[in-house]
Amino acid sequence: MSLLAILFLVLGLGLISWISARMRASRFVRGVGSDRPHSLPSYHGWYVGLWVTIPALLFLAVWASVSPGLISQAVLATPGAANLPAFGMERAAVLSEARAIATGAVHGGFHAQAASLAPAYRTAIMHYGLIGAAVTLILAFAGGAFAFTKVRSDFRARTRVERLVMGALLIASLIAILTTIGIFGSLVFESWRFFNMVSPLEFLFGTQWSPQTAIRADQVGSSGAFGAVALFWGTIFIGAIIAMIVAIPLGLMSAVYLTQYAKPSTRRWVKPILEILAGVPTVVYGYFAALTVAPALRDFAVMIGISNASSESALAAGIVMGVMIIPFVSSMADDSIAAVPQSMRDGSLAMGATPSETIRKVLLPAALPGVVGGVLLAVSRAIGETMIVVMAAGLAANLTLNPFASVTTVTTQIVQLLTGDQEFESAKTLAAFALGLVLFIVTLLLNIVALRVVKKYREAYD
Amino acid sequence: MTELAAMTPVPTAPKRIPTDWKSDLMQRRIRKRYASERRFRFIGLAAVSLSVAFLAFLLITMIGNGARGFTQTDIRLPVNFAQTSLMLDPTALTGPNAEAALAAANIQGATEEAAVAAFGPDGADYISDGAWLSVRAAIRKDPAILGKTVDIAVPASTHIDIAAKNGADPEIRAAYQKLEATGRLSTGFNLNFLTGSNSNDPTLVGIWGAFKGSLLTMIVTLLLAFPIGVLAALYLEEYAPRNRWTDLIEVSINNLAAVPSIIFGLLGLAVFLNVMHLPRSAALVGGLTLALMTMPVIVIAGRNAIKSVPPSIRDAALGIGASPVQVVFHHVLPLALPGILTGTIIGMARALGETAPLLMIGMRAFIPAPPAGITDPATVLPVQIYLWADEVSRGFVEKTSAAIIVLLVFLLSMNGLAIYLRNKFEQRW
Repeated sequence: MSLLAILFLVLGLGLISWISARMRASRFVRGVGSDRPHSLPSYHGWYVGLWVTIPALLFLAVWASVSPGLISQAVLATPGAANLPAFGMERAAVLSEARAIATGAVHGGFHAQAASLAPAYRTAIMHYGLIGAAVTLILAFAGGAFAFTKVRSDFRARTRVERLVMGALLIASLIAILTTIGIFGSLVFESWRFFNMVSPLEFLFGTQWSPQTAIRADQVGSSGAFGAVALFWGTIFIGAIIAMIVAIPLGLMSAVYLTQYAKPSTRRWVKPILEILAGVPTVVYGYFAALTVAPALRDFAVMIGISNASSESALAAGIVMGVMIIPFVSSMADDSIAAVPQSMRDGSLAMGATPSETIRKVLLPAALPGVVGGVLLAVSRAIGETMIVVMAAGLAANLTLNPFASVTTVTTQIVQLLTGDQEFESAKTLAAFALGLVLFIVTLLLNIVALRVVKKYREAYD
Repeated sequence: MTELAAMTPVPTAPKRIPTDWKSDLMQRRIRKRYASERRFRFIGLAAVSLSVAFLAFLLITMIGNGARGFTQTDIRLPVNFAQTSLMLDPTALTGPNAEAALAAANIQGATEEAAVAAFGPDGADYISDGAWLSVRAAIRKDPAILGKTVDIAVPASTHIDIAAKNGADPEIRAAYQKLEATGRLSTGFNLNFLTGSNSNDPTLVGIWGAFKGSLLTMIVTLLLAFPIGVLAALYLEEYAPRNRWTDLIEVSINNLAAVPSIIFGLLGLAVFLNVMHLPRSAALVGGLTLALMTMPVIVIAGRNAIKSVPPSIRDAALGIGASPVQVVFHHVLPLALPGILTGTIIGMARALGETAPLLMIGMRAFIPAPPAGITDPATVLPVQIYLWADEVSRGFVEKTSAAIIVLLVFLLSMNGLAIYLRNKFEQRW
């Protein structure tokens, strides 16, 4: 019997037990005072239904992960398996082919031995499938019987069910912690293996980046160089400098205009339109940057006499990324300006200052910490952005100040290292995790600092 | 007394001259200040306009390029089956072995021969590499055409297609004009683009394969992220004791919402593929990865929605004897649900447009057929756009833009739905 069939069977049993327990509980005498049943009938139903399904499903989940190992062990114990190739690729290939024949996925095989092992496989699958199904059903019935005997007028079914609900709530919120641990753990573990091959100092301070690994020992240029400074510079150049030069003035002035000058009706229309900019997928921006912006910028560079302009320039990626960030900066600035007390604004206007003087000399200085926090968050978002730079920035690791030249970034290199042919043990693949770790730590720090700045500033006016 | 008063000098303020606002100096100063006010206002307006203009430019470029991707140029190819080298017996096509007979016949060669016969030695270059598929479909539909001369509409090659849409080298333009003169060209809606899958030939590509991959991935994401996100939000907002553990959970959720998406891809690669050995490139793994990314968004939106349910509701329910779990599940959750759904839709829209983490877990394979289940190799719409953007052939430019239009239509309608729900169900207490 397949896993799916057993799953539905268990769920069906659960439904039946829910209904029958509920019916039984609904026949309790509805007395008064202490004679009154403790729980509503449906809680008894849930209590029994959960006892039927949960132990059975837990066992099923464990069995589904354990049984393939048991099956192949049983097959290996048969006499037919004695003359299998000792170890390695071929042995695994024969075994997986025998399994495919046994389950009917393929007919006839490449290895002659596979066909002879197939019957053994078939009996083993049958054997363990039956055991699994039997134990699951026994658990379901046992759980149901145990719970059903408890359905009595004074049984506190609601308390038990609610305790389980609380457990589920707690587990759900622990998943966030597990994810954080998972990210940090996997990044640190793989990076540690990388730093066993390449020294951390060379990685963090080296300026040579050419992540090839040698195929032959005597190959020319075989030693891969993993100095990531040029990558860090490219990331900062595109994400924190060019993108911010575009995003900060446009975002800030948009927020000022929309909050202070625009009519409410204009504001109601323009604000969602600006938010669309944040909702456009980054792959679309990347395509736009590569197809339209980059060639235009290269032609412009050639026109003003920069001969070595690249068609994958830092400027194209940076400008488009800046546009993507505009709504982000604008909404953070909006919030910060709105948080400045109205009395400060009124005071300034009452002294005879013009609205623009009020904004420049009173509102913006007062809102500055919030704006700075918003900009830090925007920077953290820009340096972690992937698709725009993968599609529009180049692959050459240049340490340059020329915005028309091609630079590469941390995220571009992660994608580059992990797509294409990869063997998992090489320094090339592991370098991607080291870059990921650096990116994770930097964005984490930026976020923590930014949130602290914003929070402190909010408290100042509350 | 009077002596003392006489001795103390009465403080006399320096005589204040009222500002003469009418003076030239003051008038100039005011004019300057007003000019600066106007300038500032204009800069603000310019910033808003520039941002909106950029969006308009982006959309117009995409629509301008992509609208042509939805049409295709067809050639009515006269095929004289008697003259071609096609060895196919009409009677063989009615029996049970029809498919085998069709598969064995060299329809591709026959189609090219027909094109050469009709349009001269370059004829085979005018029709798409997949033109024979249309011929095969025509034969399958009516085996009687074998032995006759019939006109079959086949897709034109990329060059002719581009020339038909006004953009090609002079050489190809000449060929196009020659074809046009025969009156055998027609332009129609490209249905194959909506129902087909990936291909090497831009005239044959379709988005259904990638779209189905996106759909499966989103289903997995929603089934995992929504329940977990809502339960976690309920716990943190309603039950969690104020202690160090709760703080830790809150800090992790806030940080996860800001972690770059590519980091989630690295997590998926390291944990789901290399440790748990789940199938590579599958919608299951993509959905798991995106669920981890979407969950914090749902938790944060959910907490805000739950927070806005007034305490009086809880007090009233508790007052008539509901248990804490009943209060939350019978009263607070239904009232907060519209807000939670809005946040969920926005989070799902973000996940639908996400590319980078899915590249990490190998969803960039060439998938010529739609995936049948969540464990089959699949790709998703944004990744398909990325892959097509890398193609060299010029025919892919309009297909990429057309796919972008489809993706944007979906994202904008999801966001529109979220805004509509928010406006319709928003309650002010």
